[in-house]
Parts: sequence; C-alpha cells; structure tokens
Amino acid sequence: MTGRARVRARGVYRSSESRLSGQSQSSAWSHLAAKDREAATSSGLLGIKRIPQKSEEGISAGDGAECTLVQRGGRTQHRNFLELGIHTREKLEHVKDCKTGTSGAPVKLVTNIFNLALPREWHLFQYHVTFSPELASKRLRIALLCSHSKFQKKAKVFDGSILFLSEKLEEKVTTLSGETRPGICITITVTLTSELPSCSPVCIQFFNIIFRKILKKLSMYQIGRNFYSPVDPVEIPQHKLSLWPGFAISVSQLENKLMFTANVTHKVLRNETVLEFMTDLYNRKDKSRFIETCEKELLGSVVLTRYNNKTYRIDDIDWSVKPTDTFQKRDGTRITYFDYYKQQYDIKLSDLNQPMLVSQLKRKGTGNEEARIAHLIPELCYFTGLSKRMTSDFRLMKDLATNTHLNPLLRQQRLSRLADNIQRNKEARFELETWGLQFGCQMSLTGRVVPSEKILMQDTICQPMSSANWSKDMRNCKLLGARALNNWLIVCSHRNEDVAENLLNCLRRVSGPMGFHIEKPKITKVQENTTAFIRAIQQHTNLDLQLVMCILPSNQKDCYDSIKRFLSLDHPVPSQCVLARTLIRQGMMMSIATKIAMQMVSKLGGELWAVEIPLKSLMVVGIDVNKEACAKGRSAVGFVASSNSRITRWFSRCILQNTKTNIADCLKVCMKGALDKWYRYNHCFPTRIIVYRDGVGDGQLQTIVDYEVPQLLSSLRDSNPNYSPKVSVIVVRKSCMPRFFTEMNSTLQNPPLGTVVDSEATRPEWYDFYLISQAAYQGTVTPTYYNVIYDDNGLKPDHMQRLTYKLCHLYYNWPGLIKIPAPCQYAHKLTFLVGQSIHREPSMELADYLFYL
Amino acid sequence: MSGRAASARPRPGGGRSHESRRPAGREGREVGQPPGPRPSPAWPGPALSSPSPARRPGGADLRASAPGPGLGAPYLEVDLVHHLVSDVMVDSDVQGVQVKENIKFTPSLSEQRHKFVLDFVRKHKPQKVADLGCANCKLLWRLKYHESIEVLAGLDIDENILTRNIYRLHTGAGDYLDPRERPLTITLYHGSVVEKDPCLLGFDLITCIELIEHLEAKELAQFPEAIFGFLSPTTVIISTPNSEFNPLFSGKTVFRHPDHKFEWDRTQFQSWALDAARHYGYSVEFTGLGEPPPGAEAVGFCTQIGVFVKNIPNTDESLHSEKTTECTHTKVGTVIYPSLKEEKYLRKAVSNEVFSYILKMKRDLLESLKMKNDSDGCDEPEYVQPECDEFKNDPTEETPKPFCIENVFYVPLERLFSFPKIKHLCGDRETLKMLIADEVTLSSDGSSVMINIVDEEDCDLNDNDGDDYDLDH
Repeated sequence: MTGRARVRARGVYRSSESRLSGQSQSSAWSHLAAKDREAATSSGLLGIKRIPQKSEEGISAGDGAECTLVQRGGRTQHRNFLELGIHTREKLEHVKDCKTGTSGAPVKLVTNIFNLALPREWHLFQYHVTFSPELASKRLRIALLCSHSKFQKKAKVFDGSILFLSEKLEEKVTTLSGETRPGICITITVTLTSELPSCSPVCIQFFNIIFRKILKKLSMYQIGRNFYSPVDPVEIPQHKLSLWPGFAISVSQLENKLMFTANVTHKVLRNETVLEFMTDLYNRKDKSRFIETCEKELLGSVVLTRYNNKTYRIDDIDWSVKPTDTFQKRDGTRITYFDYYKQQYDIKLSDLNQPMLVSQLKRKGTGNEEARIAHLIPELCYFTGLSKRMTSDFRLMKDLATNTHLNPLLRQQRLSRLADNIQRNKEARFELETWGLQFGCQMSLTGRVVPSEKILMQDTICQPMSSANWSKDMRNCKLLGARALNNWLIVCSHRNEDVAENLLNCLRRVSGPMGFHIEKPKITKVQENTTAFIRAIQQHTNLDLQLVMCILPSNQKDCYDSIKRFLSLDHPVPSQCVLARTLIRQGMMMSIATKIAMQMVSKLGGELWAVEIPLKSLMVVGIDVNKEACAKGRSAVGFVASSNSRITRWFSRCILQNTKTNIADCLKVCMKGALDKWYRYNHCFPTRIIVYRDGVGDGQLQTIVDYEVPQLLSSLRDSNPNYSPKVSVIVVRKSCMPRFFTEMNSTLQNPPLGTVVDSEATRPEWYDFYLISQAAYQGTVTPTYYNVIYDDNGLKPDHMQRLTYKLCHLYYNWPGLIKIPAPCQYAHKLTFLVGQSIHREPSMELADYLFYL
Repeated sequence: MSGRAASARPRPGGGRSHESRRPAGREGREVGQPPGPRPSPAWPGPALSSPSPARRPGGADLRASAPGPGLGAPYLEVDLVHHLVSDVMVDSDVQGVQVKENIKFTPSLSEQRHKFVLDFVRKHKPQKVADLGCANCKLLWRLKYHESIEVLAGLDIDENILTRNIYRLHTGAGDYLDPRERPLTITLYHGSVVEKDPCLLGFDLITCIELIEHLEAKELAQFPEAIFGFLSPTTVIISTPNSEFNPLFSGKTVFRHPDHKFEWDRTQFQSWALDAARHYGYSVEFTGLGEPPPGAEAVGFCTQIGVFVKNIPNTDESLHSEKTTECTHTKVGTVIYPSLKEEKYLRKAVSNEVFSYILKMKRDLLESLKMKNDSDGCDEPEYVQPECDEFKNDPTEETPKPFCIENVFYVPLERLFSFPKIKHLCGDRETLKMLIADEVTLSSDGSSVMINIVDEEDCDLNDNDGDDYDLDH
C-alpha cells in the first residue's frame, strides 16, 4: 500500500470510507457501476508517509523526525512531499549563522503566507494504542476508540494504532475497556510514545492534515492535493471549459514561525461528453478514417462519468457493443445497458447506436483476480484535463490564461477571502481552536533587488533598458563571436520557394550588423511530405555541411521529428526548422529573421553575449530530467556544462535511462565528458564547479542529498585523483508555493526583476532563497526557489545569489532574463527535444553546439 | 431437520464464513443465514397489545455457538463492521451447512427491497421522500438519481453511521457539469423515529425498510402515532421479515439478525398495520419480496411489505396549520445539488449549447467555402451539403438561416431557439437572449448572434513554430 493509500485508509475522515464489499466475487467483467464505490476517490489526505509507530515504552521528548523519515523496508513509493527532516544547512559552515545576502535595494513585499500562532509550550501527544483481543479491522478499532467516553469530547486524530491528542492523559499508560457487542469486552491500552513540539516533522504533517480538514469544511473539493470551490466557477463556453477556483495549501515551519501558505490555482473541467466529441468528429470530413482518428484521439484519455463522479482511462473502444446489448450483472442476471442506466440512475440514453468505451479497471488487493473491464457509455463520459490538441490551440490557451493568470491584486483578494472564510466559518474555527491553533495575519517581509547586469557584446557593453528584453538595446551591436556560415542547405517545398528566398534576403540584411557572415546556401525544393524532405537532406549532406534549414509547410510533428532524428543521429548536423506560416507575416520579417539568425549562430557554436563573471575557472552545470514521451518508464537526463570561463560555450549531453534508475550513474559519464572538454579548451580543470539541478520532483530531495551529491563528488574524484575542485549543488524549483507582491502606486504589483527573498519565507534547516528573474506580462510572477544543498565553494550567500542571477541572463534563445539559470534551461530544451522527437541519445558530435535550441 | 442443523453447528471455520456474511446491525438489513431451529409455535409475537420484552437473542446465541475463543474476534468484527458491508451476497458460497436448505435470492433481497421503493418512486413521482433508519444511506443514494425528488431526508439513531456514509450523497464534478433539472436537497438527521420532529413534516413518501423489527416494544408502541399521526405523509412503505419463512433457512439463530427485537408472521404484521391504518386514516396494501421455494408456498414472501396511502391527501393548509413542535433531530449534514433552476447553471448550460451550435454552423460554412475553393481547380467538383444528418427534416428548416455579411457570421436567435434542447432549457426567446447576452455578441437589432469568420489564430505570433521560438514567458 502506498503512503497515500494508507493515509486515505485511515478511518478518521469521512472520505476514507472505502468499499469493503463486492470483492468477494470475481466475475470476469462486471459493469463498472454495478457497485457504488467511494465517491471521492481522490480524497487522499496527504501524500505523506504513514507515521510509524514507536513501540518502545519510553517517551521521546524530542521530535519524531528521524522516525518519520526512516525509509521503511520494501516501500519505495513513499514520498515525503513536505521534505521534512532534511537538514542540509547545518553541514555548511559558512552559512550556519547567516544565509542572507547584502547587496541591492530593499523592497517591501506582501506574501501569500499567513502566521499560525500556537500557545507557548504547546505539544502534540502521540500515543500508541493496542487492543486485546486484537482487532483486525481498522474501522472497528477506530469506531471503538472514538466512541469511548474518554475520547468523545477530546480533540483527537486516530488512524487505528496511533492516536494524537492535544492534551496529555493523566497516565502514561491508560487502560480502557469497550464493548464491541453486548458482553464482549475489549481492553484498549493507550501508551504515550512522544511529546512533540510544534516544529517537529510529525507535527507539521499533522497540521497539514488539520488544514485539509478545514478546507473541506469550507465546502471545497479536494482534487489531488488541492482544494477547489465548485459553486462559483468561471465558464469559458466557447471552448466548453469550466474553471473551478481553488487553492494549493501547505503548513510549514518557516524560519522561526509556523506558517500557512495558500496559493491560488484553478481546476479545468470540460463540458464535453465523449459522445459529443465523437459526433463532432464524425460530421467532419473523411468518414472513412473516422474509427482510426477517433481511437487515436480518445485512447489514453481520462474521462469522468457523471453519474458516479469517477474517473476512468479509455483503453479501447468496442464498436460492436451498443446500449441495447446486454451485460451480466454481478448477481448473474443480464440487463441491457439502456435499462441498467434507467434503473440505476434514472438516466435515459439518447443515442442507442453509440459504441462502448472500454476501461481496464485497476486491480485491487491481491491481484490474483482477473483484470476487470468496464464498459462506459460515451454519452455519460466527460473529458478531463486538456488534450494535446487543446494545449496547442493558441486561442484556447489565451482565453484560459486570461482567466487563470490572476494579477497580484486579484490574487490578494482571493487570499483575503480565504482567510476570512477560515476565520468566520464556525466549524473551521472550532477545528483550529480544538488544537490551539490561531490563524494570524498575512506576512509581509523585506526583500532585496540585486543590481542589474550589463550585457557584454563584442565591441560594446550595454546596459539594457529592461533586463526582461534587451533585443532593442543590442540592435546594431556585434555578437560576441559568430562563426561564418559557409556551407549550408535550405530545404523547402516547391510552394514555399519565394518564402525561402525572402527569408534568405532578410537573413543577409540582419546578419551583417551582427558580425555573422552568411554564404549563399544550396536551396533544394521538394514535395510537401516527410520522406521528400528526408531524402533531400540525405542527398545533399556532405562532410563540410554546417547547417540544414528546413522550411516546413505545416507543423506536422512527424515531419519535424524525422528531420531532427535524422540530423541528430544518422548525420549529425545542426538544423533549423521554420514554419512557412511564420515567414509570411507582413512587417515582422526583420525581427523574425534577427531571431532566426541568432539561433543559427548559437547552433553553430557561436557566442551571442556574456555577462561579467567575477570568478575565474568556474564551470556551471545544469541538469534536468524529463519524461520520455514514447517509452513509458524512461526518462531523458539532460546535462549541460559551460566549457569556458566566460560561460558562453557549452557542452551538452543527454542520456536516456530507466526512470527508476538513479541518475547518478549517467552523471559520472556526463561529468567526465564535460571535464575533458573543459581541459581541451582551457588546458586545465576548473577549480570551481556549481551544479544547478532542476527536475527534482516533490519528495525527491532526500534522494538527491543522500545519493546524487555523494556520487557526483566521487565521480569527480575518480576522474583524476589529484583533482579536487570546489563544488556546490543547488536544487532549482520552478514551481513553488510562495508568491510575493509589492505595493506600488497604491496597488499591488509584481516585484521588480532581481528581487531576492532569503529570510522569513525560507526554511531554517536549509540554505535557500527565492529569486525573481522573469518578467510576467500577465498574472503573478512565480519566484524561482533555490536550495543550496551542498557547498564547499564557500561563496558568500550574496555572491551565490548574484551569480545565479547572472546565469539567468545567458540563454541564447531569448535576449532577456529567464526564470532559471541558462544551463538548466538548455538542459530542459535538450531533454524536451530528445523526449519528444528524437527518442535516442543524440550524437556526441553535436555536444559542442546548442543544436537543440 | 433442526436436529441435524444443530449437530452440524460447531464446525471450525464454518462459523466464521457463516457469520461474516451476515451484517449484524439493523443497517445491514440483510437476510443472511437465518435461524435453523424452527421457532416454536408458541413464540410470542409482539402484538401491540402485548409487547414482548426486549430480547437480544443474537449475542447470546452467537457466543454459545462459537467453538472457542479463537473465533470470538471475527464475530466481534462483524458486529461493528456490519454497516461497512454494503451489500451482502446472499449465501453465494456458504461453506457447509445444509446446502440443501439454502435459499438464494437473485437479485439479493436488499436489492429487491430497494428496487421496490425505486419502482414505487418511478410510478408515483413523489417530490419529498424520507428514509427512516437510513443507515448506510444506500437507499438514499439510489433515490437521489430520481429527477422527481426535490427533497430527500434520512434519519437514523446512529450518528456515527451517518457521518461515515454521508459521502455517498455528496455532489461531484459531474453534478456541476451536468446539473439536474430540478433542485435537490438531501439532509441527514440524527434522531429516533418515534420522536416527533417537524423537519419531516409534509413528505410525500416515507420509507421504513426493515426498521420496525429493530424497535424496542416501547418505541414500537409510539411508532404509529409518530409516523401516521404526526408526520402524516401521503404514502408510507414499511417492510419487515416474515417469520413464517424462517424455518426454510438453515441457520441457528432465532432471528435473522441479532438486533431484531421481534419477527412477525403475516397475521401479526397485517393486524398491526391494519390497526394503524384504520386509526390514522390510511388504507394499506400488503405485498412482499422473496418468493418461497416450490412446495413451501404457504409460508409467503421472505420480506413482507405494507404500502400505506393516506385516504385524504395532504393539503397546503393541513401542512401549515399546526404542529409547531420543537426540533429534536440534529442535522448531521445537508447536501445541496446544483440544478438548472439556479440561473448560473442554466446560463452555463444554455451558453454551452448555443456555442456548440454556432461553432458547428460556422465550421460547416467554412468547410463548404473551402470545398468550393478547392473544387475550382479540381477535376471532380464535389459539393458537400454542409448540413449534416441531424438537420434533416427538423424544425430548424422553417426558421431563418444563418447568413454571412463580409467576415461576420450571423446566427438568428430564432434559429437557435428552434433547437429542441435550447428551447427546452430556455422556455422562451427572451430568456434565451437574456441568458446569452453576456457570453456572445448580438447584432445591433438583437436578433442574431455575431461571430467572426476569420480565425484569429492566424494572427498570433507565438504559436507552435517548431524550434523557431522558445517561450519562456
């Protein structure tokens, strides 16, 4: 049982009622709705590990951190989502006393964090409960204890063996007796195991559970780990979407206070049934391919059945079964689907010719049952989530963003309303009061805006007007170092010949001032299909070919993928794909050409610009891990390291591996490659290495600290016994809970670029900070969270923050700041290309080029 | 026969499988493997006049039958867990005892009882329904799907069981995506059926399924006055075991369920029911569920049912006039379902419909235009009728057609209104106009919905250009 399931199975909460019956019979396939099951399946309280029992008699007065985080044998699925009990700061001598920076102008910030006050000397009392004779049923144990007069009026949380109380019982060991039925006595022994202070990990987990309860009391729905309010949805009828506003919440111990963080989120619901979708598809052209298209679009998507609010994955479509056909119910009788829905749910199916969606039900319990299959009626199934087609629909995403990207002011309004509700709602207040919690005011703090950076070009140093975008500032400036493009190929369709010529002219015009020399390319015109493109490229490749440009007639993914695959595996040459549609925009050609030219320079291994890096002989590394789109269970690990002191040239490598494998093994290979490359260019090894690790999932921090960092260090030692660089490892998180607003012109706004928060909203046990390095044009900016988990470079926190900020300027695909350090973004781009298009490790010959931009 | 049953009793293991199939509380409401020993003819059925002392034969019997302490625990477990066992399979695979004597019901008897109530609801379409002794709320859960019902109430003496099972009645995303036509409020109350509480006044149907046999004699005596006299609903359904059937079961307990205080034969139940009906102005009809096996027809149905109908139907005055008693039941929870009676949900439903029609018409139009363009240069000019099957011989033919002026596509409201679903939702044209006014652009005279034909998608800069642009923002 996973931790999540286990927590859900705790009987304390109403949602935890799960089905007990109905599993005795294993019919080969039974109709899905033959049984009502748990209404809210996704109501797991918390993805936390089960709080383990302490069976010894002694009372541990300290915190129960260790016991919570001990990996219990055999259960690898446990995830410590709150990442409690990982103490990395105490090992870093130079930040033990102070981890705050100094430079920059102070800025007043409002946060989405609320104070939680507890009485002095507050403790949570953890008890271990045993029953004699033993009771196998958890529900029975819970029912017995909770109904006992001793606990009836008390604030308590009980999972069947561990009991939490806010007040201490008189005795360390209390023996009670209860009756399960007249005359049958059960002895209950309640033994105190720990007194937990509020900052202990167990308490933090506990408070999170309490707040989840509270939000439910405010009539919010739990979906995943967030809470949504269905009563005031935002409708987007033109896209058949509804949005439920809601919150992601968490309770954590920040610097020295217990805090509640709430972040505004939205749940997207779709007002479209599968039948509507199918009818729609059918009425479009090309009926002969209807079944094929339909299956392509539907299989794998998750649907919600409106009658029982459950979700199912569509695994197949059975075109031969109709609602008027019969199926066998659990009790052996046969009934038509039509009658079944009429009888069971009073639903009259309107379309009697619809096919059946087939869903394989997850096996529960022992697994020796045959896999069960459910037939679902398309008419009663609603889509969930956004399909690929929808996410690529620009208008839809724009309309969605308009409604979901709330500006700081609107966000603040939602937050105050939530705070109000928590304080006003009688039940919520009661829940808080029973545990002695006091919901306090919103936290405001002081951040710093670090000085802006100068952009170094070949002959000039420019101070951009806005570091969000310096494309205007660098107009007519020579790029730092562009290699001449002498031997290259353009492939386009016959129809797009003019477009290609036009682009070429524009490229010539913009490349001159950049200092980028472009020779005349070879232009090949082909038919509008993938094979024609590939054949043309194959025919014209030669050893000296520097770059292939393809002007694609449409954004068909397979064409793009084939080209990229061929040019990164079979014949490694940097390639540049451009959509023909992009090139026919009137009045924008020059800016488009400028952008393409810069991309080409980067792909050829050139340098566009630099920032001042005070540390010499510093290598920065970015690591990202991404899922492989095709092969389930595989992931792409991207590794990008700088290969010069100016941090303008990069070594990139991507390795595909099993998702479950530790990425440490491939790190060794990558690190060695990066060091060799550095040595080749600089004739020495770097004295400092700073690794930015992105792609760390919730709850994985412990693994990174325990396994990845030591292996990274040992791989450095292995490369050369005499070489011992100073190393820092920083975990980068793009999504985090806190939000910061500044008050300006009597309204709330996003904080200025370069805002650093390294106090109050940070965690005491970590060397961490928030940095805002991206401009948000719509909505509220998400700060990027940096957690320095290993550091023997001994850089001052201020320098670490500023170096990180500098690195956010170096992404050559965008002339402006980005939200994460450039090597991480490169690594991300690389893994994306490999995961989505290439599906194999690209050729090492391309390692020196940013071929994946 | 009873002798054989008794001698086979202390079988290791047999006891457990036997018992675990039996829900022990009243909530379980299931016929498991009821008593083996034929109740002696002298068994005093509690009549109204001579209520029998409360008996708890179940506990005693089970303890006696447990072969050793080892089997004590399973019994206990069953006892408290009973309410979690939702639908107990009736003797699907009972090990052992007297297979010959087993009675199987398909579907299960509890399912049949629920179905009986549901069929009744389907036929009579009550608006306000209460289930007394609702326990695991499964009947309420089945009832909530019925469109006719607007108020559902459940009452049980066990508060715990209600708080644990109210989740069954909660709304889910589906209820918001496709709201009911009529409102529905479900309320669960904790209290005794014999307390007179005004919250259950004015109901169309009150069901007491396998309830009365759990009442102590004193409560049973108050029951008719509380239900028929005070609550006085239009109809009442009462079901209870028929003790005449019990000998057919190969069990060992006296009653079908340890918490039963009595089990009546048909005469006892009917005389009690007729008495109550006569006294409070109801007429009653008797029926039952669970046919006896061939040869034993004389014992009657396994479950006996009385359906009571009030002779003089309730009027508004009779409901509002009196009965200002204090509330004694405590509310455990209320669930309010979204419905199209609320404007925001109606607005959503209508605009979804309107948009899907408009977008469809627009797409058909664009497609037909494209066909025309393509066919200009094609060898085989093929004109496809943009209207699809759905539009054939339908009422929309009569209404003004959508039209195009320059790049704007106009869909007359009249045409939208002719779609049956929109008509059904809105009722009249003005409502349609009012409901969609905020969501769409109306033409200056307000007679048509306007929509741009040219896809604005073509104008965006940051779309999916392969590797052309990277979007960090």
